[in-house]
Amino acid sequence: MSYQIAKTVANILSGIAILVVYLFYVSSSYQANLLSMNELKSWAQIMLIFIGLGIAMAIVVQIIFHILFSIGLAVKQSINNGNCSDQEIEKTIQMEMVEDEMGKLIELKSMRVSYIAAGIGFVTSLFYLVFDYPVVVTLNILFVSFFIGGILDSFTQLYYYTRGV
Amino acid sequence: MGKQFEITNNIRKLRFFADEMTQQQLAEKAEVSRQTIIAIEGGKYSPSLELAFRIAHAFGVHINEVFDYRVVENKK
Repeated sequence: MSYQIAKTVANILSGIAILVVYLFYVSSSYQANLLSMNELKSWAQIMLIFIGLGIAMAIVVQIIFHILFSIGLAVKQSINNGNCSDQEIEKTIQMEMVEDEMGKLIELKSMRVSYIAAGIGFVTSLFYLVFDYPVVVTLNILFVSFFIGGILDSFTQLYYYTRGV
Repeated sequence: MGKQFEITNNIRKLRFFADEMTQQQLAEKAEVSRQTIIAIEGGKYSPSLELAFRIAHAFGVHINEVFDYRVVENKK
């Protein structure tokens, strides 16, 4: 598994984890009457917290991923060559991390998919407003569609890295 | 009946004749990631002209010896 594919899988897992935790937290809080449809401020606070959590988790996952990837490389090199040096591992990781033309093309294509997902979410949320649903529903659809857009972005990257551009 | 175009490459063969150069070594010489070399070698990605020249330069051969452009007749 190459660096890009492994990194994309890590992004997908962290994105799904945050989304699942958010949905679980929100549904359990709503059922326990801790949240109501009229308290927009509380919903906004929760969403801001989860955006922060998402960013923090992405950073932590990347750090853990780098550590695991380095360990994997060290094990692989020591099996192949009998020994491994820190400089070699660092050099290999730097080479794997190179952002080249294919990476940029894949990033552009996947970003288009995430924009489409977020756009569909935005239009859907407007429809809910038109049909007199509470504003909270609109907010949640927007929030979830942005997260799903991010996850789809990673899935698209995974697709292009494995199947080709 | 339409025409399709196909770009094939001899990177695997050239790597073999270049003292079994690894994909990682070729990636270093062409200044791209190993993933990109894997994709090009497997015919999953057509590189830009600049990268094609860089790969040819890494092997020290003309670009024609690395990439081949063919017109394939589509019978559909």
